[in-house]
Formats: sequence, C-alpha cells, structure tokens
Amino acid sequence: MWRVFSASATGKRNLEQGAPGQDANHCVVKDDVLVAVVCDGAGSVPEGRTGAEFVARALAEQLSSALRADRRPPEIQADSSACLEASIRSAIETVRGRLAELAASRQLTLHDFSCTLVGCVASPGGGSLFHIGDGFAIQQGATGDSVLSRPENGEFADETYFVTDENWNDHLRLTPLPAPERGCVIGLMSDGTAPFAVNRARSGFFRPFIDPIAAFLRETTAPKGNEALRNLLESPQACEISSDDKTLLLAFVV
Amino acid sequence: MSTVIPDVALIDNSEERAPLVLVLDCSGSMQEENKIQLLNDGLKALAADLKADPIAARCGRVLVVSFGGDSNVEIMGDWTDAMDFTPPSLLAGGLTPLGAAMRCALDEVESQKAQMRSAGVSYKRPIIMLLSDGEPTDEWRQVAAECKSAETAHKVNIMAIGIGDQANRETLGHFSNKGALSLSGLKFKELFIWLSRSIRAVSRAPAGGTVQLNPVDSWAQMSI
Repeated sequence: MWRVFSASATGKRNLEQGAPGQDANHCVVKDDVLVAVVCDGAGSVPEGRTGAEFVARALAEQLSSALRADRRPPEIQADSSACLEASIRSAIETVRGRLAELAASRQLTLHDFSCTLVGCVASPGGGSLFHIGDGFAIQQGATGDSVLSRPENGEFADETYFVTDENWNDHLRLTPLPAPERGCVIGLMSDGTAPFAVNRARSGFFRPFIDPIAAFLRETTAPKGNEALRNLLESPQACEISSDDKTLLLAFVV
Repeated sequence: MSTVIPDVALIDNSEERAPLVLVLDCSGSMQEENKIQLLNDGLKALAADLKADPIAARCGRVLVVSFGGDSNVEIMGDWTDAMDFTPPSLLAGGLTPLGAAMRCALDEVESQKAQMRSAGVSYKRPIIMLLSDGEPTDEWRQVAAECKSAETAHKVNIMAIGIGDQANRETLGHFSNKGALSLSGLKFKELFIWLSRSIRAVSRAPAGGTVQLNPVDSWAQMSI
C-alpha cells in the first residue's frame, strides 16, 4: 500500500568545507506497515554523519521488527497509542545502547554522534509520528487536512535536541496519526528542507511545492523518483534558500 | 540525463514576519475636511505599495483597529499577510475611545505573537501606528503608560501621529517614548507610502538588528 521516495542532499555549507552531508534517511515496509526515519547529524561533533546514518537505519529496522514480533500490525490503531509509544521508546533505547557500544569501541561518547530524529510508524489502522529536535513531519490526508510534528528548538535558533542527549526521553514527542486513506502522503524532512516544503503558516505542506512533486512521483519509478527528488534538493533555488543539508522522504498511500 | 520535476515552486516560507497594527481614529471630526476619505485613500496606497514589493508582500502582517461611534473599538477583519491585505472602507462618526483602541492593539499584538511562536514562525518587533485628530474621550492614562513600558521592554514600536490642528499632540505623545508627530497638510498618502517603505526596510533587516527608517519630512510637520 506504500510507495516511498527519498533523497538526502549535501548543503552548500558542507560542500564548501569539503565536508560530507550530515543527513540520513531509511525506511522499512513490512506487512503494510511503514517505519521511516530521517536524522540530521550535528555539524558541531566529529561523528554527526555516522550517528545520523546509524540511527536512521538501525531504528527503522529495530522498530519494524519489534512491531512484527509483537504481532501488533496490521492492527495498530491510533487509539492504542500507549502500546505504540512503549514500542517506540524501547526501540530508541535499544538503538542508543548499540550506538553507545560503537562509540565506546572507538574511544568516543554518544555525544560525538549527536543527531536529531524525526520518524513515523504508519499502518492501515493508524500510527504515530516520533520526533526529537528539529526537522518536520506531516501527514497530509486526501482532503488536505494535515497532522504535523513541528521542530523543537532550544533557546536560540541554532540550538536543538538530539536522540543522543542524556534526557532524550523528555524531548521525545509523539503525535498520533489517523488511518491513512488513499491519496494521503506522509513527509519527513530535515530542517534544511522545511523552509520551502512547509507553508507560511507552518500548518502543512506548501501546496505549490508538494502538488507537482506528488503528480510527478505518481507516474514514475522509484529510482527515477529518488533521482528527481535529489535533483530538486540540490537545485540552485533550493540551495539559495538554505545552505543546510536537505532530506525529504515522501510516502504515498496507493 | 537528469530528471527534473516540472513546475515545483521553491520559495522561502520561513522569512520573519513584520506585524503592523493600524489604530485609526474614525470619530465624528474625521468627517471634516474630507479626512476620512483621505485616510481611506491612504490605506489603499499602503496596500498597493506593500504588494508591489515581493518581500514586504510576503513578510508584512497587517491588522486594522478603528475607533469611533458610540465608544466603539472595532477590529476590522483578521490579521492578513500584506499580499492579501484589502483595506476596509472606514466611516466617521461619534466619540474618540482612543485608550480602549490602544489596549485592543496591545492585546492583539501579544496574541498574534503567541500564535506565531506556537507555530514556530519568527517575527520582527511589531509596529503600532496610532492616528488621531482629536482628544481621547475615554480613560487613556493607564493604557498610555502600558504602551510606553511595552516599548521599553522591546515588545513593540509605537508611532503616535496627530492629524491636523485639533489633535492633542501632548496627549498622543504619552503613548510612545518617542513622543508624537504631526501629519502635515493631511498628507495621508505620503504617510502611508512612508510606512510601506518602513515595512519594506524592516522585512529586509537581519534578525535582532536595527533599521534606519527614511526621514519623515515627506509627511511630518515639525514644531519650530
């Protein structure tokens, strides 16, 4: 029931410094249950990129297999969000533990792998967004109504929260998702993409941005769609708006 | 060959907003010398000039508060982006409840800021422009003091402007730490074009900085 496209593009700031992009994304679809994660590694730590790649992949895999092991899908309901929340927290805990081991094996700390986290579990019965730090998540229904998870920043604009923080549990924000109908789209993005993908009222997608993309992706193959998304995120206009790395993951219900 | 998605709008929607509240005297005396009509024409010039500048059109947020009638304060429509701003047609008549109108403007500024904050929209310091041709007919001293302390706390910029000879500039001066200015020769249009250019400048200013506004001599009358 899901068609997923994604791309992560390295922003101008990192390109100019010869640094790699710090964004990563990963998604798993099993038994009609989509688990997708976008991470943005902190530029201020040595292994932000590794942290982002590790958490995005490991968390999507871990959460997907945990949900299957619990035999919960496809019966996940928005109203059983307490169970879902427990699964999400426990999967993050597990992945943090594994990342801490990796850090220790390199004489580093979790902090050296700091990254943000924005993800979703979406099943035919409903699901949840989960979010630590900046970035943006939107489920846009077939009628255009949107459920959102907005960024949480610290006191200053360039300060945010990381899944690798000691108190990550206090900053994990969950947003229940209604059952996705046909025509629904879920978008996960890093903070470099949000300025042009989100509308001015920050109440949903910017329609003149998302509508042409949705129309194009509907008619194309996954490799071609991913390439087109990457070209868009790397376009001069997008780079003009934000010099950050940019990730966009779009999941369509078909 | 690289794949390009056609017709995708790429616009920066995260630009900081520049909120503006116009607090406009619609008391009976505004009927004299065609003032209310000149004010309405001025608002149209403001709307057109804001829309002519793409950045100001996107960043400007406008609210009109009118006062007059049987001690009425009316919020004319909702906060709108400058690009969607259609000026109301104001009618003159009645009293001058200036204190209540400024109270309303202060409250509206704070609730609009709270709304933008909760949506994660960033904004510049709001501007309240007060235009009056007379004397308040309600209790105003307490509100005036609050206006000054809101300015001191960097919550808002207030411009108090007297229209014509009957305006009590001393009273108006109590609403802003910068005192009041006088509109010269009913130059409403010049005033509103100047205001639009100020919003253009504010929209372009870096966050947390200060803006040098144009001189006010196109419309203001200085006492000598």
